[in-house]
Amino acid sequence: AGCHVLKAAGAEGNVGPSLDSLKPTEAEVQDMVFYGLGVMPAYGEDEMLTKEQVDIVSFYVANSAGK
Amino acid sequence: MKKSKVRVNSSRRNFLTGSASVAGLAATAAIVPITFATANHKDGSKGLPNFINWKNRDALIIHSDKGIETHRSAIGESIVTPNANVYIRNNMPTMTDAQIGNRKNWKISVSGVKNPKTFTLAQLQKLGHTTIATILQCSGNGRGFFAHKVRGSQWKTGAAACVLWTGVPVKAVVDACGGISSGAVFMTSSGVDHAPTGLDPKKAMVERSVPKKAYKDAILAWEMNGDPLPNSHGGPLRTITPGYFGINNVKHVGKLAFTETESDVKYMKSSYRISPIGKKGSQYPTCWEMPVKSWITRPTDETGTVKAGKVQIVGVAMGGTKKARSVKVSVDGGNSWKKAKFIGPDLGKFAWRQFALETTLSAGTYTLSSKASNGSNTQPELRMENRRGYAHNGWKDHSVKISVV
Repeated sequence: AGCHVLKAAGAEGNVGPSLDSLKPTEAEVQDMVFYGLGVMPAYGEDEMLTKEQVDIVSFYVANSAGK
Repeated sequence: MKKSKVRVNSSRRNFLTGSASVAGLAATAAIVPITFATANHKDGSKGLPNFINWKNRDALIIHSDKGIETHRSAIGESIVTPNANVYIRNNMPTMTDAQIGNRKNWKISVSGVKNPKTFTLAQLQKLGHTTIATILQCSGNGRGFFAHKVRGSQWKTGAAACVLWTGVPVKAVVDACGGISSGAVFMTSSGVDHAPTGLDPKKAMVERSVPKKAYKDAILAWEMNGDPLPNSHGGPLRTITPGYFGINNVKHVGKLAFTETESDVKYMKSSYRISPIGKKGSQYPTCWEMPVKSWITRPTDETGTVKAGKVQIVGVAMGGTKKARSVKVSVDGGNSWKKAKFIGPDLGKFAWRQFALETTLSAGTYTLSSKASNGSNTQPELRMENRRGYAHNGWKDHSVKISVV
């Protein structure tokens, strides 16, 4: 499910890039989750997530991608 | 990634304040790649994703598994870019053979015409047959030269290719449907590749409207450089809108409509808008017609040591929606220019022309630049600054430095 591949989370989506191969930094995930891009929603800017939630997700993704 | 210094081309900034009707001047964007500036451009350890494992790895720069660029020197020494070297930029996952099914039975509905119809690919193939050469170029080609922080793949020159497409002229399809309905202003193509994802079509469907006049040059293509159109490039059927940025060449096309208004999906309404840095919105021009552009493909740092003596400086020049008329080359960063010769066959105004300048270089460092003209417009020196890094055709950023020994 989901839009990305992230093995640690059991995600096998194929819409956006594979996070396991991209291995983004925490700052990059924060930027993308907050502002969105293309089909990816702007979770922060559009207030779907709080800044704190964006930071938590970003910390998790950056530290679990590729593992 | 190393960025060049911020340079603002103030004379072109007024493009950004106009309505979508001036989009032809600036052209819009390639789909916003969900990738990062730090993705490793030349990491040989990054293999090809499975869906394009037939591509030529050595010709490609892998930004992510969804954004793959052609090396500057690998866009084709004989005008046409080999399929194995053509860049990949997909907004939606490439459809699988299983999702596509029997290619001959692929369906496309045609509406906004006197007699709306649905055709299978096999039926389209009976309506007409033509081959055209066009430039396929991502709206964001050159984004990697922008100095502000731009989200999306950091393309330099390689989100572009010259391709021979074979298919049916849209005009023949329109004729088979009794002509376009009165009142139509746009030709709108819809990709059906969003469907397998289950995402909201308004947000995920690649549906692009172009000015109706584009239908006269457009084709529905099923073949790419002599091969059945690969799924990864939009097979089995793709709208080709010659002279327009890549995003308007809708992949996996399942619907063609002549409409009174532009599509209201996200990829039309808000993505691919050429807006000033810090601003966004559908009031800004969309990425439609491509501007005049050129770049040098060799010699570069990719093509090995350059020895002093006679050198052939080679590149490609495109006129956008008009024929490329002339190209000048500089070896001193733009202080002086010499007219280059067009070489090779002329594949029409929508293809690029190869050019060459024979010159003699002694040992030293040189900055090679090229500047094309289509008779009406000449490449500007500087890029048009814009939020998403679209439509870059400034010659300065596209220059290459070489060392001659």
